[in-house]
Amino acid sequence: MPFELLLPRSLEEAWTLLEQGAPGSSMAMAGGTDLLLAMDFRRFAPERVVSLSRLPLDTVEFGEREVRIGSTVPLRTIELDPRVRRALPALSEALAEVGSVQLRHRATLGGNVVRASASSDLLPPLVAMDCRLTISSRKGRRSLSLDEFVESSWRTKLQPGELVEDLRIPTPLPGAYRWQRVRPANDISQVGVAVVRHPTHDGSSAPDWRIVAGGTSPRVQRLRGSESALLSPWPSEEEIAEAAQRAAQEARFATDLRAAEEYRRKLLEALVRSGIESTLERLREGGGR
Amino acid sequence: MTRTDALPKTAGAREYGFDLSAPKMLWAVYVTSPHPHARLVSLDTEEARRAPLVRAVLTSKEVLSLLPHREIDEASPLLVAKASRFQGEPVALVAAETLAAARAAARLVKSEWEVQPAFTDIESEFSEWPDRDRMKADPRVNAHVLAHRGDFDRIARSCDLVHEEVYRTPMVAQVPMEPHSCLAKVTGEDWHVRTTTQTPFGLREDLADKLGLPQEKVRVEGTWVGGGFGGKNEALLEAHALLLSKLAGRPVRLALTFREEFLFTRTTQPAVFRMSSCVKGGRLVARRTRLLLDTGASLPGRDFALGFALGFTLGPYRLEAWELEGYALRTNRPPFGPHRAPLAPQCTFAAESHLDSLARRMGVDPIEFRKAHIWTPGEINPFGQEVGPFAAAEALDRAHELEKAWRAELKGAEGTGIGAAVGFWSTGTSSGGEAILRLGPKGLSILQGEREIGTGSIVEGLRAIASSRTGLPREAVRVEYADTSRAPFDSGVWGSRTTIALGRAVEKGCLALLRELAARWSKGGSGARGGKRTGAPVLLFEKREVRVRVGDRVRSLSSLLTRKERREGGILSHGKEYGRSQALDTSLVQEGVLYPYADLIASVHLAQVAIDRSTGAVRVVRYAAFQDAGHVVDPEGYRGQVEGAILMGLGTALTEEGLLTPQGRLLNAGLLDYRVPTIHDVPRELRIEAIEGYLGSGPGGAKGVGEPPIIPVPAAVANAVADATGARVRDLPLTPERVARALGLISSGAPTPAEGKGPARAGGSVG
Ligand SMILES: Cc1cc2nc3c(=O)[nH]c(=O)nc-3n(C[C@H](O)[C@H](O)[C@H](O)COP(=O)(O)OP(=O)(O)OC[C@H]3O[C@@H](n4cnc5c(N)ncnc54)[C@H](O)[C@@H]3O)c2cc1C
Repeated sequence: MPFELLLPRSLEEAWTLLEQGAPGSSMAMAGGTDLLLAMDFRRFAPERVVSLSRLPLDTVEFGEREVRIGSTVPLRTIELDPRVRRALPALSEALAEVGSVQLRHRATLGGNVVRASASSDLLPPLVAMDCRLTISSRKGRRSLSLDEFVESSWRTKLQPGELVEDLRIPTPLPGAYRWQRVRPANDISQVGVAVVRHPTHDGSSAPDWRIVAGGTSPRVQRLRGSESALLSPWPSEEEIAEAAQRAAQEARFATDLRAAEEYRRKLLEALVRSGIESTLERLREGGGR
Repeated sequence: MTRTDALPKTAGAREYGFDLSAPKMLWAVYVTSPHPHARLVSLDTEEARRAPLVRAVLTSKEVLSLLPHREIDEASPLLVAKASRFQGEPVALVAAETLAAARAAARLVKSEWEVQPAFTDIESEFSEWPDRDRMKADPRVNAHVLAHRGDFDRIARSCDLVHEEVYRTPMVAQVPMEPHSCLAKVTGEDWHVRTTTQTPFGLREDLADKLGLPQEKVRVEGTWVGGGFGGKNEALLEAHALLLSKLAGRPVRLALTFREEFLFTRTTQPAVFRMSSCVKGGRLVARRTRLLLDTGASLPGRDFALGFALGFTLGPYRLEAWELEGYALRTNRPPFGPHRAPLAPQCTFAAESHLDSLARRMGVDPIEFRKAHIWTPGEINPFGQEVGPFAAAEALDRAHELEKAWRAELKGAEGTGIGAAVGFWSTGTSSGGEAILRLGPKGLSILQGEREIGTGSIVEGLRAIASSRTGLPREAVRVEYADTSRAPFDSGVWGSRTTIALGRAVEKGCLALLRELAARWSKGGSGARGGKRTGAPVLLFEKREVRVRVGDRVRSLSSLLTRKERREGGILSHGKEYGRSQALDTSLVQEGVLYPYADLIASVHLAQVAIDRSTGAVRVVRYAAFQDAGHVVDPEGYRGQVEGAILMGLGTALTEEGLLTPQGRLLNAGLLDYRVPTIHDVPRELRIEAIEGYLGSGPGGAKGVGEPPIIPVPAAVANAVADATGARVRDLPLTPERVARALGLISSGAPTPAEGKGPARAGGSVG
């Protein structure tokens, strides 16, 4: 199907172009790694493809409590940023496993979250880090938590005419990402788990853990039952085992050609445990907090 | 040293079949059967014919009218006429001015099908070993082989231990990087096709047969080949492209998509091995293998699969008695086709896992146990053949030493294990080959009919042989390619035979040239001054000119050529190699055909794995291959073949399998979920040792290397997993989920997706 490729230089121009025509007839393109395949598979047939490549959305800015990652920054740039590696280990760990180096030079965070794939390796850590999106259109800007934004595979709260400008993540956040694939590289995760420990505010109450699973069902899942099993800042063996078991019980699972439900359940249990242990190890190495 | 084709290929300067184009060329695409078994009720191509830019549509109707004199092979028509025999079987083709137009029009072809029950799962239908009477009456039996030596049953009754197991292997595909592709052009009586093939001459014969033409009218021209692995041995799409070209009066380009590669090329289908071994006094005395082999939509008597495979399940071991029985079953999958050492990795997985598990059950060291039974040169093997030069025993000794060193380093660390496996192979030397050599002042050229398929056996191997025989440096030796109307015959780049058989033809041609030069030297040359001959002539290449040296005298080659030769560029010689075929003692075979093995080649491998006991994930950390090389012709080429075979074998071992829905449709027809190894899957340490000196029948005693090193890989990995965990995985591949089942992490039972529930989606995009 022929289409028109548009290269707006300002946000205003991009918003206007994205509004044109019936819903679906104008689509944003960042790296194009998913969109162009989807068009090839005839899932979409936009008349206008609006490239975001010339917009000023490609910077990573570290503030005091927050990092702001532009939606079109290539994954590879984020992965190689030493500040991200230090402050957000779960994210950089997940980034390093996405596809291949070639892919990561093109693919973006904005594209990954809008695609909202069930097996995304990036949604679990981003959701676990309480990531918020800045979404804008000609009508204005709004901010939405990623967990609310994602509905299911290919489905989000993005409205026609809107684009994602950036992702904002509080820093620093100790954590870990654990995954399993049939083939370790260039494959799709059967299960991915992000574990993140958010800081306590008064220093006395239990820290705020996030345990988020991907690859198990059509949508990324926060496992609150599992999180609530971790009562102390330095959970015991028993607490960790309990968290892992609860995760396996509460999560929703699917069987598909990549894994049987029973196996995914077992994997989730093993990966939650390993993710918590590795987070604690990192905390110890970093002097705790 | 850089391979001569490396830089041009990297720069995109070599034309593969996929790259072919011609002025006024049409693009063709397939319409295929969506069902593994269905009656074609109606086929409506009207709309497609009227679509923009469409120039021709080919269905079985057009085939009939284009080939009025040809006898139609009802059982295997060129295009589906009445019923599909497997999913993806070609039904029609559309040729248009652009690829997009052809694809769009192909979607307009309407077909109506009456779905029939498909037979795609041999396991569910034959959960028990079937009795012979039942099988005699079963029309789906393509072949039955029964052979034995001694009385297995009697030994089984009187021995100390009978070890019985069942092993299963899945469908695996060759997955060449370059899909099958060709460019066909029919001009008058000249049916010319350029194509990516391993066997130009085989293809010519195949095409002549399919099209009902004399061979002289078919001209096959090979292109550079982006990997074949046995999958580019027969005419798959060339006949279709030629017929379309005939119909449209234009050149036609036809190439498969990756999805089509998986759906309808010929490959390895599933197998079930029932293995029994008898032990007496600590020795293996007898083995029986019962094999059910899915040969897809192959036809009776049309392939070699069963009779070729069965013998591998005995392994290269001494036995007092053996019994081999198997059924090749016709199913609704694509027909069987050769695939790098056809079925030997599967048979060896069963045989070597079984031997390993037997040794462990007996409490003896699996490598010691192998050493106690391995064939050695000069002895008569269980097939009644004399074992020729065969490095297996030495390779096992070396592997054993390394294994001990590895174990000492590992100190029994949790989740680590080492496995060994032995494979044997036999090189296809009985199929012939020829080369025409021309030696001129500027160098030696080799005219032959093959194309380089990626192994280096043509671009480097043949040149290395000519170089070592004549003394010329490799840069003075050129390979020339020609189509089947100009090149001398060769039987193809397969069976690890190219360097061995075609290489021998080159070697013979070189020796004939040298003999001729020697004779001319003594006679004083033609038009040149003679001299006394002392020793054989050697060729030199000085200042880019060929010179001849005998003893300490050197002369220019030109001085030894006739005027005519000088005018025509050099002196010619025609090297031919037609080996002898082997025979098996026919009294051993009661039913069917059992292929004899000859020119034995051994591969002894070690794998070291690390296993995550909480998930079942297996990582191959180190790998070592001890290869029976005979004589290494080209060290870098040799190493490349062994490395590639190990990596390909790791795919078979760990990740590759075709997954079918209960209706028999392939779920993972693409590179997303059919997982071939990538560069990241290469073990951290890869050790390759060529054991020379057990000479084969190739030039200088060379043995084939394309196939042997893939054979033991799945078994070595499975044995390492058993060593690490005590759990034996009897089904390939060893995916994390399967290993988790073997470890008892999850209940055993059919792995996905044979369970057939859940949202298993066919194709589509990620997640
Ligand atoms: C070979 C391969 C391997 C892969 N492996 C992995 C993996 O291991 N793990 C993993 O998580 N993912 C993997 N992916 C998916 C990959 O991460 C996504 O394709 C990528 O992140 C999408 O980013 P993009 O910039 O290319 O998006 P595009 O393809 O440009 O866009 C994707 C979708 O998002 C929309 N979009 C993009 N940017 C914006 C924006 N700023 N605002 C609004 N809408 C927008 C587009 O309209 C489109 O619908 C793989 C993909 C491929 C092709």
